[in-house]
Amino acid sequence: MLGIAPELARKVALAADQITLTVAHAWETAFMPHQEEWDKQFMAKNSDITLKDINNTWADHQTIVPTWAAAGQLPDVLYVHGSRAFPWSKEGILIDIQSYADADKAFNVAGIWEEALRLYRYQGKLHSIPYDHGPVILGYNKTLFDKVGVPYPTPDWTMDDLHQAALKFVVPGKQWGYGGYYGSVGFGNEAGGAHLFPWGAKLFTDDESGLAIDSKEARTAISFWYDMIHKEHAGLSQSEADSFPGGAWLSGQVAMFGLATWGAPQMHDQAKFEWDVAPWPKGPAGQHTGSFGSGYGVTRDSKHPEAGWRYLSAYLSVEGMQFMWGSSGRGSPAREAAYQSYLDSPLAPKHGQYFLDALKNYAVTGRPYQSATGPQVMDVVNQNQTLLATGDIDVETFISNVLEQTKPIFAQKS
Amino acid sequence: MSILPKRLTQLTLRQREERDFYFCIALWLIGFVLFTGGPVVYSFLMSLTNWTGLTNREWVGFQNYIQLFTTDPLFGTVLKNTFVYGIFSVLLGTLLALGVALLMNQKVPGISIFRTIYYLPSVTSGVAVAIMWAWMFNPRAGLVNYLLSLVGIQGPAWFSSTQWAMPGLILVSLWGIGPNMLVLLAGLQGIPTHLYEAARIDGANPRDEFVHITIPMLSPALFYVIVISMITSFQIFENVYILSSATGAPGTLGGPGTALRVYVIDLYQNAFVNLRMGYASAQAWILCVIIMLLTWLMFRINRRTVHYEAAE
Repeated sequence: MLGIAPELARKVALAADQITLTVAHAWETAFMPHQEEWDKQFMAKNSDITLKDINNTWADHQTIVPTWAAAGQLPDVLYVHGSRAFPWSKEGILIDIQSYADADKAFNVAGIWEEALRLYRYQGKLHSIPYDHGPVILGYNKTLFDKVGVPYPTPDWTMDDLHQAALKFVVPGKQWGYGGYYGSVGFGNEAGGAHLFPWGAKLFTDDESGLAIDSKEARTAISFWYDMIHKEHAGLSQSEADSFPGGAWLSGQVAMFGLATWGAPQMHDQAKFEWDVAPWPKGPAGQHTGSFGSGYGVTRDSKHPEAGWRYLSAYLSVEGMQFMWGSSGRGSPAREAAYQSYLDSPLAPKHGQYFLDALKNYAVTGRPYQSATGPQVMDVVNQNQTLLATGDIDVETFISNVLEQTKPIFAQKS
Repeated sequence: MSILPKRLTQLTLRQREERDFYFCIALWLIGFVLFTGGPVVYSFLMSLTNWTGLTNREWVGFQNYIQLFTTDPLFGTVLKNTFVYGIFSVLLGTLLALGVALLMNQKVPGISIFRTIYYLPSVTSGVAVAIMWAWMFNPRAGLVNYLLSLVGIQGPAWFSSTQWAMPGLILVSLWGIGPNMLVLLAGLQGIPTHLYEAARIDGANPRDEFVHITIPMLSPALFYVIVISMITSFQIFENVYILSSATGAPGTLGGPGTALRVYVIDLYQNAFVNLRMGYASAQAWILCVIIMLLTWLMFRINRRTVHYEAAE
């Protein structure tokens, strides 16, 4: 009995020091077992921390977090999409973790892509840490290329090469040369980077205080894509894109499309054709594309921010990224040191190296990500972009609509 | 001898009934105050702030309301879309429900099976139904365009077209006529048969019976159906959310363009995407006022057009 008491006392003491960390994720259900495996490994090494996961769909997560914030019941650690990092940091949902990152030399925050880190800085300080960051590069249907007899895209391709190749695939209403990024030619964030930057065009000014779409370069870029859609039928119109509920690029009827690393698992699961990736073609202004990503932060309601940092420090370390997103093939780790694990994973395409090349050399994080009015402005841009895609408006009308309709939004902000 | 004060043991019948009434509704009343009334009052207070829905809020008075009426570029569009949807879905839905109720009022074997079949769509999950309709109206592979092609018509792009998205949404709304059909059926079955017998004796034909007996006697039920349908139609959200999420570029709720940008979709966009919860709260209150005004207007019209048998 005397022997039992010290053991019991030790367990009681441990229990008293036990911290429960709640972590909110936005994974698809199939990925949760992988998350749980990592949790077990973390808890084995950190016996004073018990992890409790909350998982919602991506869409639900964006509406649940404000509800938690309003109720003062945020979890300790939170998934943060790049588009939410600014408003959540500004509103104080995420705490400043710069000092934790600076003090933790082993974490090596400098080893994370700068284009990824910039998404999560607020007033110069990190408020979350990225876990993935991916560029948009060119995905292509090798089976269709072989069938039509067109040589595969090469690293020295220009936008003209893409255009000429796309025209060779056209079978009106049945086969298309270019399918957009997730079925559309968009202009925000990473899609804007891919569709505008190669012409030296951009949607937002660098300080996001206005739009920069009223330029010759933007007109040239937008006309390039939408002439392909409406005049040459080499790209998908709105109704054509919508008629593939799963995504036209998965149908086998589209030769080329914008693809990011987070799209690769879906390609692997659902594409019934051979496919690969190539560098994003060079435009008149050089080789440029857009990138974006997501991260995790510690919330203001956490009673254990130090423990929250310990979690992030492990989760977003090289080893953590290798396990979670590299070797699983889930996406593009935000550290170069972890990237090889992604390239070696079974879900990475054969030339997955081109994702890394883009991140290292020519991918830039696409705006908006540093203004509270970003979502409102993108609402206007997206409404008008679908009208471009349906053919209801032309490029000039798109630009003038967007400029006119966003004036009151930017005026409110100032 | 009772230890209670005399007045507590000697309540009148009326007082006892009042006491019992409040006791019976107490639970509901508490729930209403906590989960409906309280939040409604809170939302009004929030509409007077620039709350993002996250943390910070600043008092701005009626600025949100002024902005809604003066500078919001979408306010006119969303009102127009909502009214168009409301008017046509209520009109067509009521006519269809009446037609089906008239058919269901026949005395044929197995009629209860048909009544069940027509009611079943109303009990299916709204989201599942909307996804099904997105497939049905798919421009290339959908059943609707396929059926149209059999009669030589090339179907439109439906929810990918700015012209056809709203008609498509109105057609989808007709799926849920079941409850209205039941109300009208009950109304039909409550019409005294002697009225029809008397009319036939006087030489009335079926059209005369319908116009001069069925419609007037059914008018209370019709009024109820129209008012409730109107209130519901102005709050349309689920179908639009699913149908415009299933089509269109990411982030284009209520698209293509603003073809399906109805009031509550715009409210949702402002509340949860644009992070303007205070502004969205103001929108919610304006919608409440609009619906109340329309309901009041209908009750005013009711006096002249609805015949209550007891009153006559």
